[in-house]
Amino acid sequence: MPKFEQSHRLLRQNTDADVRSLSAYRGISGYAALEKALRELTPEQVNQQVIDAKLRGRGGAGRLAGEKWRIVRESEDEQKYVICNAYDADARSLAARTLLERNPHQVIEGILLAAYAVGATEAYLVTRSTTPEGATAVQQALQEATEANLVGRDILSTDFSCTINVLGVDIGFMGGEETVQMAVIKGRRGMPEQRPPFPAQYGLWDKPTAINSIETLVNVPGIIRDGAVAFASAGSASTGGTKILTIYASPGSEPTVVEVPFGASLGDILEHAGLHPTESDVRAIVVGGAEGGALPLSLLNTPYDFDPLEEAGAIVGSGIIEVLPSNTCMVSWARERSAYLSKESCGKCVPCRLGVKRITGILEGVVSDLGVNGDLDVLDEFAEYVPNGSLCGFGVQATNPLKTAKRYWPEHFTSHIQELQCPTGTCVPVRAHRFVTKHVLP
Amino acid sequence: MAISIRDNFFLTSQEAQPPMVRNEHGHPSFTLTVDGKTLQAYEGQTILSVAIDNGISDIPNLCNDEKLEPTSACRMCLVHVEGAERPLPSCNTPAEPGMVVTTNSDELFHIRRTNLEMMLSDHNAYCQPPCQVDCPTHIDIPGYLELIAQGEMKEAARLVKEVLPFPFTLGLTCPAPCQKACRRTLVDEEIAICRMHGHAAETCLLDPPLPYVQDPPTGKKVAVVGGGPSGMTAAFYLAMRGHYCKIFDMQPQAGGMLRYGIPEYRLPKDMMDREFAQLWDMGIDFQANVKLGRDFTIDDLFAQGFDAVYLAIGCWTSNDLRVPGEDAEGVVNAIRYLGDKVEGKPVPVKDGDEVIVIGGGFTAFDCTRTSLRLGAKVHTMYRRGRTEMGATTEEVEDGEAEGTHLQLYVSQTRVVSENGRVTGVEFQRNKLGEPDASGRRRPVPVPGSEFVLNCDTVIPAIGQAVDTSVLDDASGIKWTKWKTIQTNPHNFMSDREGVFAGGDCQMGAKTIIEGVAQGKLNARSIHSYLMGEDMNEVARRLELEERRPDLFDIVPYKPVEPKVKMPMLPYEQREKSFGLIEMGYLKEQAQREASRCLQCACPAAGQCDLQKYSIEHGLADNRFHDGEPSDYHDYDLDLSHSFILRDPNKCINCTQCVRVCHDVIGPDCYGMFGKGFDTIVSTPFNVSLHDTDCVSCGACVQVCPTGSLMMAERELARYSFALDRCIFCGDCVEVCPHGALGETPNFELSFFNRFGEDVTLEKNDLANAPDYLVRQRLPRGKKALPVMSPLVRPLPARSIRD
Repeated sequence: MPKFEQSHRLLRQNTDADVRSLSAYRGISGYAALEKALRELTPEQVNQQVIDAKLRGRGGAGRLAGEKWRIVRESEDEQKYVICNAYDADARSLAARTLLERNPHQVIEGILLAAYAVGATEAYLVTRSTTPEGATAVQQALQEATEANLVGRDILSTDFSCTINVLGVDIGFMGGEETVQMAVIKGRRGMPEQRPPFPAQYGLWDKPTAINSIETLVNVPGIIRDGAVAFASAGSASTGGTKILTIYASPGSEPTVVEVPFGASLGDILEHAGLHPTESDVRAIVVGGAEGGALPLSLLNTPYDFDPLEEAGAIVGSGIIEVLPSNTCMVSWARERSAYLSKESCGKCVPCRLGVKRITGILEGVVSDLGVNGDLDVLDEFAEYVPNGSLCGFGVQATNPLKTAKRYWPEHFTSHIQELQCPTGTCVPVRAHRFVTKHVLP
Repeated sequence: MAISIRDNFFLTSQEAQPPMVRNEHGHPSFTLTVDGKTLQAYEGQTILSVAIDNGISDIPNLCNDEKLEPTSACRMCLVHVEGAERPLPSCNTPAEPGMVVTTNSDELFHIRRTNLEMMLSDHNAYCQPPCQVDCPTHIDIPGYLELIAQGEMKEAARLVKEVLPFPFTLGLTCPAPCQKACRRTLVDEEIAICRMHGHAAETCLLDPPLPYVQDPPTGKKVAVVGGGPSGMTAAFYLAMRGHYCKIFDMQPQAGGMLRYGIPEYRLPKDMMDREFAQLWDMGIDFQANVKLGRDFTIDDLFAQGFDAVYLAIGCWTSNDLRVPGEDAEGVVNAIRYLGDKVEGKPVPVKDGDEVIVIGGGFTAFDCTRTSLRLGAKVHTMYRRGRTEMGATTEEVEDGEAEGTHLQLYVSQTRVVSENGRVTGVEFQRNKLGEPDASGRRRPVPVPGSEFVLNCDTVIPAIGQAVDTSVLDDASGIKWTKWKTIQTNPHNFMSDREGVFAGGDCQMGAKTIIEGVAQGKLNARSIHSYLMGEDMNEVARRLELEERRPDLFDIVPYKPVEPKVKMPMLPYEQREKSFGLIEMGYLKEQAQREASRCLQCACPAAGQCDLQKYSIEHGLADNRFHDGEPSDYHDYDLDLSHSFILRDPNKCINCTQCVRVCHDVIGPDCYGMFGKGFDTIVSTPFNVSLHDTDCVSCGACVQVCPTGSLMMAERELARYSFALDRCIFCGDCVEVCPHGALGETPNFELSFFNRFGEDVTLEKNDLANAPDYLVRQRLPRGKKALPVMSPLVRPLPARSIRD
């Protein structure tokens, strides 16, 4: 088991000093990285250090943040933007709000370093308005930093200027999508845009925009201050650093927030959080939040990293790990997830708006013991169609619950369809009519 | 935390790019490969616009328009780009040097078709009414049913009379092919379409409406030979066109087979005569008891000064049984039998007789049921099965319920007679063999199964033929190998100029409604002939009009509503009674039944991109019917705006209207409403379009790929134009959705010329402009309207105050 204690870098533990005020943050050498960068390093050098540290985007995509910045920096456009994505798409994830509440100055420092590296003078921070504590904390910190000439014109008396605007919105799950945030900043309806062209080339107001997750940015001060090697000392070979996870011992329980190094196995992470799942009382471990996949206990030694999780059918996603009790019917679970996602879709593209709804309808039929064998083929077809056809990551990941439920618990589906009974005896019928095929072309 | 996909990231800024070249216009460009072809593209072009510029037009798209920012919502234009993990929408993906694009594959086709299936699964609307298509006369069925539902009976009858002059008569006698096509069967039961127009016409039988204003007399004369449904219809529409018509008929009264072939219990003749009275009121003459070939010839008609002749002489000869002994006394001609009964002449069937009727068509059952009413015991014998019968199921069931003894799979072999008088018929049983040319399985006799059925009278009703003796070779009319009159299939002119033929004598014995349809088409064709049009052109036009359109059937979410049954005369009261068996609807019943109509009529059918692509993609089935109400949407229509009609049920959320209103026009009347599955394009706060900042420009209607937004019919007004205030900005040219305004190469002017001479604006420059540049119009679907050719005449310069 790795030494989790050593990997506490971002999350302030209860025993740690409160660093919400500027003086306290300066006390733990806060803003030292910014000073070092502004006075000693060129933007290229800052960017290079981030590339060297192999800092991968924590938002879920897992791209190298430094590469994204370089594209923005090398763009010929004069005006560039930085956006800090501090919006927890899945409201059950506590990562962003925890960081905002406990580490607001570190977030600001990360944004400033990113702005310096890409050459932006305007930055935005988008967060949820439903949890005002985080937004209040960061706005207070911003006030302090502005007064201390850390944000605004001629920061620390250099010729680097950068303003930060905080935007609190409540637009559901889709608010976590990066192009949705750009649309919201522009005052448009929160709907994603097709990529490519990527925001790094064609972003906010058609200008190159570096949009990073708050978790990514909050790592940057440490990299600049301590160097890339120190940063990569925790984490796996492919992904340096740590990840903040929200862990639910059961769907209804109080969450625990932990920070773990990339590459730690799922079993170790759960143990670190004080959970000891056994076959007798646990059905599955859901990794990735609302769009995540359910994994059986036999996969507990899967390392928590981008590629192994994707291979297993789950995603890093919202950074939520949830334990499902043994009386969970996985068909019903997939149906609930699908119904939730069909309500959260922005409604823009056809496969996501209608495809996910039709998947939900078929799953409701199966749960209500109205399913037929052909439904499984249609589900398989749609599990591929929706990701292939959809516009943004929401649709691409929307069938993960269905895919993993069918992959690891096929017997739950056949039990409902062939024996007309729920494998756990917990399902109640939710619809009276199943879909039927009708000929439409004369 | 964030939602993102792990798509591979192109580090384009680092890679060495092929050098930009300049094309023949001097613009920097590069090449990429689309479907194996190397194409030249400008920087900043999307893959789709490169493809369209180079003539690759088979990339479907429903949400793209060249003057709008791409949104890639419909996911129809997905293409494969080499190196990308997922298909990318070509409308939004920038073309890059050296890109390799494939626009078609099985995977793409499947995604596109599933997209269409998804859209149609929540498309609470219809394309085109199949009833109207299947009706030979193409009555506007949804139109008159809606009028009936609103209680507008006379207006409904008027609408029907536009294509069918006898809605009451046909309401009782038509076999109703429209009802077999009715889409209401997909929800519950078909609508009594046919009986409905009968009801509407019945309410105004004494004061029948004319379909439209009758044209003034033209001085042309048309002779119609045969006063049956086809001839009377042709006379009706020719008279509407202002031509003088005279009908010549061999029978004492008008109506042809309607009068002499259909028994009184199905069609009361006094009521029919009231409907016919409209023709005599219109000035059509009728000469009875004259027969072609006996009393006059075609040459006589032309000699009398008729400009055209319409032959609708029908099929009045019964086919022979072709078995030994059929010339015996007691073998009765079916047509003459029915005709004599109508005329009140003595008929060879009386109470207590035993009658054998041979055949399975309408005539056979008319003979059967007439004989039953005369008190006879009747055997109806047919050589094939029930499904092969020509008569409708209701007719057969009614016949059986009234007491006929129906025997199937039996063929007559000889007529048994004693002293020259019929005593019985010998039959042989059949089994079904291979299908014949008509697709029906051929009956094959079973040897040794012969039996004799005793009877007093035999009525063979196995088909009718045209009496070919009425026309000799000198008439110049030729016969087909089926012994029908040979005509052009589309304009119906026979081999003799000015002589047209239609109805049963042209197509063989068919239904009444088909005869009426031919009468209507003949009237059109004869009118064109009298007006001196090129008959080849007329044939081409009629053929196009009659071509069966591509349909697309969509079954929406609609509540079940039971059919209002036609009240029928009870079977016990039908014995020995020739009273009408269909007692007719009450007004309330008719209104209720008519309001069941799903109004499967979309004004955008034929122009709708969704329909076009669905047919192109062969979307034969939809897998998402009959779910819960929450699986579909049923929105209210917004008809409050004077010019723009909104039906959100047909909206596919392409957001073209949203973007064109926001980005091009400006008032920003539309936006997306709701979330998830319930997302729909609507107005701010979902108010009526009338209450928004709408400027009634119609750009949203122009871009709408479906029938969700439609222009209301509008009276064009004269627009005043304050020239002293015009700053020649050209904005009006830019936004006009109909291309009614144009500009000169100098971008100077806007002009309008809707009213011909009344052009108000000229500048010297404009007057001298050598050529006129039409702004490029929107290229697709509904937008592919012909570019209005603007009229710019070099007028002398004059003061703007003139």
